[in-house]
Amino acid sequence: MAIEETGENPIKNEGDIVTCRKLIRNVATTAGFGMTDVTRIVTAVSELARNVYVHAGSDGVMRWQLLYQPGKIGIQLVFEDYGKGIPDIDQAIEAGFTTAGTMGMGLSGVKRLMDEMHIQSELGIGTTITVAKWGRAK
Amino acid sequence: MDGENNLSVIKLKNILLVTVPDDPGDDIIQELQTKVLHAIEKYQSKGLILDISSVNILDSFFARTISETTQMVALMGGQTVIAGMQPSVAITATELGLHLGKAISTLDVDRALDIFTDNFKLV
Repeated sequence: MAIEETGENPIKNEGDIVTCRKLIRNVATTAGFGMTDVTRIVTAVSELARNVYVHAGSDGVMRWQLLYQPGKIGIQLVFEDYGKGIPDIDQAIEAGFTTAGTMGMGLSGVKRLMDEMHIQSELGIGTTITVAKWGRAK
Repeated sequence: MDGENNLSVIKLKNILLVTVPDDPGDDIIQELQTKVLHAIEKYQSKGLILDISSVNILDSFFARTISETTQMVALMGGQTVIAGMQPSVAITATELGLHLGKAISTLDVDRALDIFTDNFKLV
């Protein structure tokens, strides 16, 4: 019996941040990621889900998908919101940059935790952040 | 999840011991801060041990709240010791660029108690 390959979870309130973390912890552990990578992935989920909740001000969603390459297992996570968008993406990724009174480690930190990160944003339309992590297949 | 059931502040002589649940939501972390500060006032505590040995995720919100709480406890005359961080959490927190402010860290609660006994003569 193969594990589920894809799914999604809404991000509408603060509690959804924990729901997303628990869901992805389960998916990544079952997929065979090691404990430290699971922690990295779940921490990235926490940062990005909170980002959606804090900045979007409207409904957002997290979509996940397992990826396979010879000898490798991967997980891709897409965080989509319909908020005000990011005016300067390069600035947003800089360490220490914050508009929300946090440590400003969110996006720059997530980039270090994950293997791939892509940000697409349009002012007034919303933001889509895609991240991926690769590990050795079991 | 009912935060009230997940968080107890235990008074041990002159210090407080709080065990943080494994995957605390933002509301529980905020509640922790308020509960701790009120307990310090109530019991006239001189120190706080935050047992995070069950915690399997530490993100920027959690780190900021711990750092702030440490600062607030210090303003009330107390010392905070963070005990029991898991290896995977320490690795991830460092890669993420997090720091816990002026809190002292120990491997476990026993060593945290030792610090309060030896360095601060509080237990």
